[in-house]
Amino acid sequence: MLVRPALSVVVPLYNEEDNVRPLVEAVREALGEAPPWELVLVDDGSRDRTAQVAAEVGRGDERIRLVQLARNYGQTQAMQAGFDAARGRIVVSMDGDLQNDPHDIPALVAKLEEGYDLVAGYRLRRRDKLLTRKLPSWVANRIIRAVTGVPIRDNGCSLKAYRRETLDRLHLYSDMHRFLPALAAATAAARIAELPVRHHPRRFGRSKYGLSRIVKILADILTLTMISWFRERPIVMFGIGAAGALALALGFAGAALLGITRVREEMANAYVFPAAALLWLMLACYLLMLGLVAEVAVWKDREREAPLPLAVERSP
Amino acid sequence: MSARLPDVTVVVPVVERPGPLDKLYEEFSAPLAQAGYAYEFLFIAYPWFRHLTDALGPLRTRGEPVRLIEVGQGVGETTLLKIAAANCRSRVLVTLPAYLQTEAAVLPELVRRVQAGADLAVACRHPRVDSIVNRIQNRVLHLFVGRLAGGRLHDVACGVRAMRTELVSEIPLYGDFARFLPLLALREGQAVEEVKAEVHRGAMRGRIYSPGTYLRRLIDVLGLFFLLKFTDKPLRFFGLIGTAVAGVGMLIMVNLLIERLQGRGLADRPALLLGVLLVTLGVQSIALGLIGEMIVHLSAPHSRRYRLRRASPPARTDAA
Repeated sequence: MLVRPALSVVVPLYNEEDNVRPLVEAVREALGEAPPWELVLVDDGSRDRTAQVAAEVGRGDERIRLVQLARNYGQTQAMQAGFDAARGRIVVSMDGDLQNDPHDIPALVAKLEEGYDLVAGYRLRRRDKLLTRKLPSWVANRIIRAVTGVPIRDNGCSLKAYRRETLDRLHLYSDMHRFLPALAAATAAARIAELPVRHHPRRFGRSKYGLSRIVKILADILTLTMISWFRERPIVMFGIGAAGALALALGFAGAALLGITRVREEMANAYVFPAAALLWLMLACYLLMLGLVAEVAVWKDREREAPLPLAVERSP
Repeated sequence: MSARLPDVTVVVPVVERPGPLDKLYEEFSAPLAQAGYAYEFLFIAYPWFRHLTDALGPLRTRGEPVRLIEVGQGVGETTLLKIAAANCRSRVLVTLPAYLQTEAAVLPELVRRVQAGADLAVACRHPRVDSIVNRIQNRVLHLFVGRLAGGRLHDVACGVRAMRTELVSEIPLYGDFARFLPLLALREGQAVEEVKAEVHRGAMRGRIYSPGTYLRRLIDVLGLFFLLKFTDKPLRFFGLIGTAVAGVGMLIMVNLLIERLQGRGLADRPALLLGVLLVTLGVQSIALGLIGEMIVHLSAPHSRRYRLRRASPPARTDAA
């Protein structure tokens, strides 16, 4: 008899040997016996005993599954590997550091059943350092909200619930797990809800984040902006840039004209104005051409068969 | 045709500086035979090396396990390796350059490592005997390789390697990247081991290549460095360069603007051109990065970005 679990809990683990056992216990206690669930532990190439401990804890309990990556790929790929391995109709993702509370899972699932494709938890009272963790995250969330238009308060909280269909339309790469709700909204038209969840201070192990990620996050936000606004028509974005460059070109051309027509005598022999105008003109042309290349890429992509975005008919 | 399938296939690409092949065969098969391995030599050659491959005929008639595959021109090192793997009948594949790199004694140890569970075992020439120019280029090469490999590789260019045959198809290889196979394998999470080997007595010591060769290798490494670090996130690379360049340009222009407001005219300020040039250059770099991100985003559904070491079987199948 093969029981397909209704619910899969996916937890990426990197060097969390002390946290694995309490984590598994907490999930067991929180989810109890029914409905049938599974816990997919993804070992992201840990250098400590995470994998061994996970295997030990799961021995004899077939609901606990272990997926081991061949090396350390980072949280995004670990999460994707977990999603690929999960078999439940509903999938919940969670951090492996015990800062999320598995007791919140039933509430998330219930919210999802109300008719959403993705339910994101947000940390009501976040228990982290203010300057290095909370402040950058607050700024990042504001920017993400502004550029994507997806009203999510806390993109950084890993505790989220998804329908299988949502995950089938999401393809995580780079460090995109941070922007998962925005990505889901932008590329899969997911219906998204938020739910407050508990947040505990870290008990064991070290946080794997540092301030260096701010630069990376800024680059990723720029990417996300492009994806969510200009996915269908990239030439619009490049066209806006080109228009700006063209305006500057015209400005400098005007200055050059003032000199040539001797309206301003002192600018008569200035070569810098026509030269600067030409440079801006070149940039405008270049951006337009890049926009066309981007259109070609999108066009080629649309020639492939791809699933439609999520859309559900429901009784009003 | 022997009934027993070989344990080891030794692939010899006859493409670069080949010497007499029958001598090579005799020298390098001896230690394998001594160690008790059933082996087979697979020579892959361009047709214009027939004067060399003709020497294999007598070996073949003597019943030695020698096979020859001919390929036309334009087939690169990587493709040769793939052709070899496709024609390989054993679990372990050994690559052996047709020019002499290491002593033959290292082969059985390489094979043993792979049979013991390594995915790839590479010979590491030590002590290195070579011309000063080559040693310097080797140092420079490994400055980058060392960073990419976390200090786990010391002689990435050595072509004497043993591997699981399937490894070749598990690693995305193209162009000249077969040269960096150990590095790519490490990145894919494969178990790579190094075995120290002595430089071959007959190796052309002190050979110096044309400057073009060194330049090409440098470009190869830089390209690889970029690909390994930034393929999934091109904007981080182009965006950082672009922001820095455009930032300098902006500073220049802001400075000029302040001076303009103080009454100094712009007409005789060439710095204005520099400022505009830098800003346009920076914007171009960022725009290229965005195109890169777009390609990555669009190809995401079709690419696999992780490799599993093992996964516990789905529930119920292991209980039974």
